[in-house]
Amino acid sequence: MPVDARQHIIEATYACVARRGMAKTTVEDVAREAGISRATVYRAFPGGRDELVDATVSWAVFDFFAKLYDRIQGATDLEEVMERGIMFAHRSIVEHEVLQRVMQTEPETLLPALTVESNRIREGIAEVLAPFVVDRGLAPGVDLGDAADFLARMVLSYISAPGRWDLEDPTQVARLVRSELLAGVVVPASLR
Amino acid sequence: MTYRSTVARAQGELRVVDSAAPVDAPTPSESPHRVRIIDGTLACLARHGTVKTTVDDIARESGVSRATVYRAFPGGRDEILGAVVDTEMARLFSALGVRMGNAGDLTTALVGGIVEASSRLGDHAALRFLVEHEPGMILGHLAFDESDRLLVTASRFTAPFLARWMSTDEAERVAEWATRIVLSYAIAPSEHLDLCDEHDATRLVTTFMLPGIEALHGASTGLIDITPFPPGGTRPSAEIRSGVGGNTGPVG
Repeated sequence: MPVDARQHIIEATYACVARRGMAKTTVEDVAREAGISRATVYRAFPGGRDELVDATVSWAVFDFFAKLYDRIQGATDLEEVMERGIMFAHRSIVEHEVLQRVMQTEPETLLPALTVESNRIREGIAEVLAPFVVDRGLAPGVDLGDAADFLARMVLSYISAPGRWDLEDPTQVARLVRSELLAGVVVPASLR
Repeated sequence: MTYRSTVARAQGELRVVDSAAPVDAPTPSESPHRVRIIDGTLACLARHGTVKTTVDDIARESGVSRATVYRAFPGGRDEILGAVVDTEMARLFSALGVRMGNAGDLTTALVGGIVEASSRLGDHAALRFLVEHEPGMILGHLAFDESDRLLVTASRFTAPFLARWMSTDEAERVAEWATRIVLSYAIAPSEHLDLCDEHDATRLVTTFMLPGIEALHGASTGLIDITPFPPGGTRPSAEIRSGVGGNTGPVG
């Protein structure tokens, strides 16, 4: 099965979920949307509906990260990477119509896949941030792996549930980044 | 510490209700069997989860009749499950109140609160069964809007114990931050950091939290200058900043 065909089926699944929601989307719907037979869908995704849903969530997450990566290009330091990244990620989640609708109406259909993804997402964020932390200057005695993992956990927590922080406000985001996120991780700016 | 509290679920929203009554004691109008039934239900949940637990199972486990269960909880299974959540949250907050209330300094309060909450979540047999077998049910409370609500409840309750060492605004932020940390490591345990362990929790608090609290304070008092990056551009000082890129400090 060529990658293109899998990709075509995943995009068809996404279109079905956007229209009807997760629970009501069947392999039959996906086949019709993609203009192929059920058998072809099963050849590409032998696990059927569950595998389709997992693959579609993975794809949507990957797509999100590709855009996020674009958004932080050109940032000059760790602070700016995190400010831009958090604001972009938060807005993307809030404005993501399909994600929001599924979370409101049928969260139980999405959460298992999202939980599996979240480990990969966390590792991905830690990997992207680590070189910026090194460049910025790791605080004495702090382990780089621990620091990157901690930052990734916190970033995920804030972008999915901002709590009392207004992540639309650049000043608040700047304060958050320099206190709860980076203060213990990097050497203070005044000592650089 | 006489601070007692119960958590009530009203109109789908969690709110903390201050109450003079001890958490485990039913109010006079309530059946004396409520706590017994709630504990019986917890035992059922730890074995079979919510889907397979019936009112009959609950009655048998609690050692009371079906009629007694319905007298205590006229709403049946759903009402019992709601009461279980409320009771367990109240027990958790009670324990946190005792532990944090007895702390003599900020580090002890934070470490104590984090270890207490992490251990209780980790040792909770019913919660562990549900996370494994009915993840959608538990995770629904930990994602997005629901998570926001949980953060607000938990931070409102624990902030007063931190306000001895900082302003109310800072205490609320720090309490929310600690809640995020506990939830993150409870949902996805780390190989390097076990927050049920006093030593590991102390390392996390002293490494990441104490400097962060200092920075929160510095930012709110103007001691630390915070300039966000301009939308669509980079900070004016970007050139100078990248000029010291060679100073990477110790690594590892």
